[in-house]
Amino acid sequence: MATVDIKKFQVNLNPTWCPGCGDYGLLRGLQTALAKLDLDPSEIVIVSGIGCSSNLPHFIKAYGYHSLHGRALPTAQGVKMVNPRLTVIAAGGDGDGYGIGVGHLVHACRRNIDITYIVMDNQIYGLTTGQTSPTSDVGSKTKTSPDGNYEYPLNPILLAISSGATFVARTFSGEPEHMADIIVKAIQHKGFALIDDISPCVTYNKKNTYQWFKERVYKLEDIGHDPYDINQAIQRATEWEDKIPIGIFYINPDKPSYDQLDPVIREGGMFAKPEITEDEKKEILNQFL
Amino acid sequence: MKELIKGNEALAEAAIIAGCRHYFGYPITPQNEITAYMAKRMPEVGGVFVQAESEVASINMVFGAAAAGVRVMTTTSSPGFSLMQEGVSYLAAAHLPCVLANIMRGGPGLGNIAGSQGDYFQAVKGGGHGDYRLIVLTPAYVQEMIDFTILAFDLADKYLIPVLILTDGIVGQMVEPAEFPKDYKPNFYDKSWALTGAKGRPKNVVRTLWLDDYGVENNNIKLQQKYARIKAEFVMYEEFMTEDAEVILVAYGTPARICKAITKKLRNEGYKVGTFRLQSAFPFPEYRLMELALEKHVKGFLVVEMSAGQMVEDVRLSVRDYKPVNFYGRMGGVLPEERKIIEYTLDMLKGKVEVN
Repeated sequence: MATVDIKKFQVNLNPTWCPGCGDYGLLRGLQTALAKLDLDPSEIVIVSGIGCSSNLPHFIKAYGYHSLHGRALPTAQGVKMVNPRLTVIAAGGDGDGYGIGVGHLVHACRRNIDITYIVMDNQIYGLTTGQTSPTSDVGSKTKTSPDGNYEYPLNPILLAISSGATFVARTFSGEPEHMADIIVKAIQHKGFALIDDISPCVTYNKKNTYQWFKERVYKLEDIGHDPYDINQAIQRATEWEDKIPIGIFYINPDKPSYDQLDPVIREGGMFAKPEITEDEKKEILNQFL
Repeated sequence: MKELIKGNEALAEAAIIAGCRHYFGYPITPQNEITAYMAKRMPEVGGVFVQAESEVASINMVFGAAAAGVRVMTTTSSPGFSLMQEGVSYLAAAHLPCVLANIMRGGPGLGNIAGSQGDYFQAVKGGGHGDYRLIVLTPAYVQEMIDFTILAFDLADKYLIPVLILTDGIVGQMVEPAEFPKDYKPNFYDKSWALTGAKGRPKNVVRTLWLDDYGVENNNIKLQQKYARIKAEFVMYEEFMTEDAEVILVAYGTPARICKAITKKLRNEGYKVGTFRLQSAFPFPEYRLMELALEKHVKGFLVVEMSAGQMVEDVRLSVRDYKPVNFYGRMGGVLPEERKIIEYTLDMLKGKVEVN
């Protein structure tokens, strides 16, 4: 991999995450991807929800909005609709995006708006010190499942594909270079992209550890997976526990994105209006005299 | 026998003692101990614990369980209670009994996780839509977390109303000696209105919607009659050395404990100071405050809150213009300072009408 300079996306603030948290890997991967895309921080907005991982916008140099718990996606869509020329990235955790905010995820996928949504999935609520999350494995012992979780987890990859997302991938914080390449493709993709990033919680999730994942993850591209085949994508998406695929599950290049369909946003939104002339400025100001 | 117990866990165990066997909650600090406690404890007592996917789900699970006729509770902290408001309005409109707890933290917005009292308006004036009220109990001690929670279930069933335990994160997180009642037996309340299956009887329908011209107004009249009855029958407060006090500190929750300590301190120095502590915020002890305002020895009131000044409005409405009502508060999860309270109290004792 050619070295890229990620300095322009770094800030002088140490993340609040525990040492070893998977979110560091994601931060590095995202900074690398943005550098590879040769974007300027002024062209990027990162919107997050609430949770450990949602502190992300504080730790990366770009415009940021730390929004409400579970509401990163509606907020990010609001930003995109005002100024579609911006690269809008929504980010958060599994509790945020697959729990309280899952209704918004379904509709953002369906709307296929041109946003990249990164979920740092650690299968636990970390910020509130270790409760069951919507992706916690059956049997996981947490503060709210002391005898082992008996709810079945949701499958974010299947959910996104079935809801109409046009780019669906999984990355692993233990593989930051692989992750960066996928984030690049997700941002370049015109339409809604979900990246489910395996981001181990080293403090509260004692089951799904780096070691646990390292023994299981394999790359979809290594087995000749065709991401343009929805049936293959769905089949691979059902794999978990013994073997865990990372890489791009699904791409649909044919479905137009929301911002290509909406008559105003299509033309660049309100910021696409030509600049006003000096005469027009005078005319407007005269109204106040 | 008294034991050392954390406020949040005391509240949780008290709910179980009161016969609550259904609890739905969602993680939020500083009330996570309640959810964790219920996850462990409910299966032991044959109860049901569900970690909901959001506070919206929690409050609507409460709606369903309350309509089915059982004692049910959810607990949360400030932002979570905001999210529940739609459900709270429906619960009130449907005359359903349930117990809610808001262990307040700094706001608005995400704020922080430090104890605060910025949700008084939301709790007492109606955070959701429509003309409704909750009974609002305001514990300041771990012992009251126990006693008020048990009382809350009784009040809810008696008046068919959601009862809110409103306290700050400090009381929730505090560990101090407290005692659970040994032989409390939940009172029996008729719940023939509940959705229990209509075999052999006309069906019950729980609703908040009426399509005829006066249905909704009639329900509103019923609600208002109920609130008037509650106000006539119930109010709770504690008076501490108010009998000859010249300045009365008014507070609830943690600031009330600070005020009581200051009262003792100033009394030792010969100053006639007292503390009036709210134990219920709805009904509000307006009558008693007016009585105190009419006492000759009372020069005025100093209201102390962990907010920009919310409860103080109700104190002013209660005493009208008979005596000056001053306010001192800190916001965003910051405690009021003892030296400031003392400074303002001494100013008022000297006859100053406006302090702070």
